[in-house]
Amino acid sequence: MFTFANKAIEIADKHKADFGDIRIIEARRQTLSVKQGEIGALNDTVTLGFGVRILFDGAWGFASSDVMTSGEIERVTKLALNIAKASATLKNKKVRLAHEPPYRDFWQTPFITDPFAVAIEKKLDLLFAVDKVLRKDAKIKSAISSMDFIREHQWHMTTEGSRIEQVLLSSGAGYVCHAVDKGEAQTRSYPSTHGGQTLSMGYELIESLDLPGNAERVRGEAVALLTAPACPRGRKDLIIYGNQLALQIHESVGHACELDRVLGYEESYAGSSFATTEKLGNFRYASPIVNLVADATLPGGLATAGYDDDAVKAQRWHIVKEGILSGYMTNREFAGRINKDRSWGSCRADGYNNIPITRICNLSLMPGAVSEEDIINDTKDGVIMENNRSWSIDQRRLNFQFGCEIGWLVKNGKKTKMIKNPTYQGITSEFWNSCDAIADENSWRLWGVANCGKGQPSQTAMMCHGNSPSRFRKVKIGVTA
Amino acid sequence: MHDHRTICERILRLAGRCPAEVIITSTDSALTRFADNVISQNVADTATGISVRLIDNGRVTRFTLNQPSETALKTGFLRALETLKTQKRDPRLMPLSKPVPVKENKKLFFPGTAELSPAERAAPVGALIKKCEKTGATACGTYENGATAITVANTYGVRAFHKESYAMYSVTVRNGNGSGWAESPASDAREIDFDRVDRTAMEKALLSRNPRSVKPGHYTVILEPAAAADLILFMGIYGFGAQFYQEGQSFVTGKLGKKVMSEKITIEDNALDGLSAGMPFDYEGMPRRKVTLIENGVARALVHDRKTAALAGIKTTGHALPSPNTFGPIPTNLTLTKGGSSIEEMIKNTEKGILVTNFHYTNLLKPLTVEMTGMTRNGTFMIENGRVAYPIKNLRFTESAVEAFNKVEAVGDKPQAYISWGRVSAPALKIRDFNFSSSTEF
Repeated sequence: MFTFANKAIEIADKHKADFGDIRIIEARRQTLSVKQGEIGALNDTVTLGFGVRILFDGAWGFASSDVMTSGEIERVTKLALNIAKASATLKNKKVRLAHEPPYRDFWQTPFITDPFAVAIEKKLDLLFAVDKVLRKDAKIKSAISSMDFIREHQWHMTTEGSRIEQVLLSSGAGYVCHAVDKGEAQTRSYPSTHGGQTLSMGYELIESLDLPGNAERVRGEAVALLTAPACPRGRKDLIIYGNQLALQIHESVGHACELDRVLGYEESYAGSSFATTEKLGNFRYASPIVNLVADATLPGGLATAGYDDDAVKAQRWHIVKEGILSGYMTNREFAGRINKDRSWGSCRADGYNNIPITRICNLSLMPGAVSEEDIINDTKDGVIMENNRSWSIDQRRLNFQFGCEIGWLVKNGKKTKMIKNPTYQGITSEFWNSCDAIADENSWRLWGVANCGKGQPSQTAMMCHGNSPSRFRKVKIGVTA
Repeated sequence: MHDHRTICERILRLAGRCPAEVIITSTDSALTRFADNVISQNVADTATGISVRLIDNGRVTRFTLNQPSETALKTGFLRALETLKTQKRDPRLMPLSKPVPVKENKKLFFPGTAELSPAERAAPVGALIKKCEKTGATACGTYENGATAITVANTYGVRAFHKESYAMYSVTVRNGNGSGWAESPASDAREIDFDRVDRTAMEKALLSRNPRSVKPGHYTVILEPAAAADLILFMGIYGFGAQFYQEGQSFVTGKLGKKVMSEKITIEDNALDGLSAGMPFDYEGMPRRKVTLIENGVARALVHDRKTAALAGIKTTGHALPSPNTFGPIPTNLTLTKGGSSIEEMIKNTEKGILVTNFHYTNLLKPLTVEMTGMTRNGTFMIENGRVAYPIKNLRFTESAVEAFNKVEAVGDKPQAYISWGRVSAPALKIRDFNFSSSTEF
């Protein structure tokens, strides 16, 4: 493939481009789902194509195609060059990329069992078995169980001399059931919402999740929620679990700290950020016990790779250190704007046909010093919330509202009644500064976000957010119409 | 773009005796993105998707690829046939559709729009940036164009083809701490009034500077068309898809023929003509029918695919997604019928209320009431004594769209079209007692 790719590099060099690169990607995706005893999806997708990025006269052009001929590489590279020339007519200063040495390397996701080598029959049998348990109660009107496997083989070549080959693998599975009765509808899912748990692993992930072993409990909780009392209104101590805390990190820290967004380059779509650059190193984002670490080397992380799509080697860095804003998600274009001579390496593209953009890396809340049980024992009047159901945040990442699938009241150190429709609202830094307890490493777990949307044209990226249950004091809960 | 017909016939030949359905999409797309008064991203893509569904004696599978080579297709077939063999038979599985005539919609393709050059996209962007620089404002947004062709064909003779071009000019302007937005999509780029879009976004940005804080609570709101369209989309997707209805998860479940919202509201799904027109058939190759979902506040009908229609004992309305899927049929060409009030009249007749330009990051909380949350964005204003009095800081709403549509006081006279999950068009709406649950800092 590198021989094929070299054509684009030759053309970029011949036209004296400031920088050029080509990414050829062959991807295979297998999607399976079962709904109400029937196959809901069974699709095997294979795509192949390439994207060429040209920086010419300090401005960007990008073009891509799925026609794999030498002539098409020439056409697409020249198109990217022409687009860059059009971009150069409307620039105020030249784009300069932060330095990165060239690499010649091969990297792949470690795995035990290749999910594409596991028989479809075995996968469907597992999903049908889960489905059968979920539908045992007549109040369950919809049950969906699913699996998703992606392997992406990338060949990345730059005019700077990098030749990077990577094979990235992810596996995911989960299920959701919807209970409906007497004008009430409730949802419960496992292990998490929005398609289940996805990690950079092989089929061993699926085997570790014990999907059938949790189905009865999940079904029972969905039905029980129909008659559970509503989430109380007011301000209470909030203990957030797993997948919901992952989304809280994602929306109120991850996106807020993407440097392109901070600098206003996402303004027209998803918005900008309150975490502006003069706050770097001095803004109290969170309480001193909060450490949020970005890590492209994290085992199992969906953003884990040897290199990002700027050909920058994977790194680990603090976004929030002891509560202080300490870093951003960066690419090579914008790293210089915060006086960094090297990008932290968080620039990725969705497939071959999208331009690489600044993305959230794996971003995790570091474990605290107390046990999960101690947090509950120490809470007099609180609420536990688990598994995200709805999410919304303003375009500067300040005001947010989340809804969860299920909650429990905590009274005088005991987890008591189940509650339905739990919701909470807050303002980002006020909320994170109210964090006074983070559970220790015994309950720390990695959660995948497999469908993060950003950019125009819209791109999807995957990342993980590790965390353990954490407590936030006096949060506004029970928000309804 | 590849020749769809040749690829289809080749695939159907390779399928042999196994009933097969082919969906081919070809897209040429380009997008110029600008921010901070410069072009920040500028991209173009040529893409093909070939998706093949095989149904054999109660067994189903699908494979998708983007390389129409003999080798790639044969590999796809080999894997798919192996998958079929290992599957248990499902006697309820519907066979592929038989052909039904589809009237082509040739009004949506304009070659000049499909082929706009990078320089042609840069021209209006440059004009906007010049205007913004003169006033100390900052321009952000996109100008995109392209064309999509789609073919649905199957073993039984279904052959449906559609081609359309598109252009979309979307502008956000920042002026100090003010922000304004406007957008115009069109099948023919010549219909875009760039000056009007620029002027609207710039004026909103200017007028929304130095916003005041207001207390959250219940207010009369005037939702400009983009904000109204956002609510309709959620109601359309979660209310009028027959599968949600049949599962009891729709707010109209058990209420067809009954009044469910204000008599001022009529909502249609109409792919055949009007502002939301688009592909005239669905992903099974069935013709899309115009469906009146709400007529003067009364729930009239749902959108169906063949599966939900069979359960309901009626004919499909042509709203299938690619099968198999877990979502069921959905309306993709929603239209809220216009009323007789201009936005200016709505403002004039409002003693105290809030004018909303657009919503941001809306999401569903409860399906049975379509309870939603989201933020206001890009120009939110207090109305007092029949005039726009001052800009206000953005607010979060937490409100049932169904309840809100029961409190409609006026429907606008100028609908606008938007592209989101499909197409939606809506005029402005005036709604009383709309719930804002909190505020933000800007």
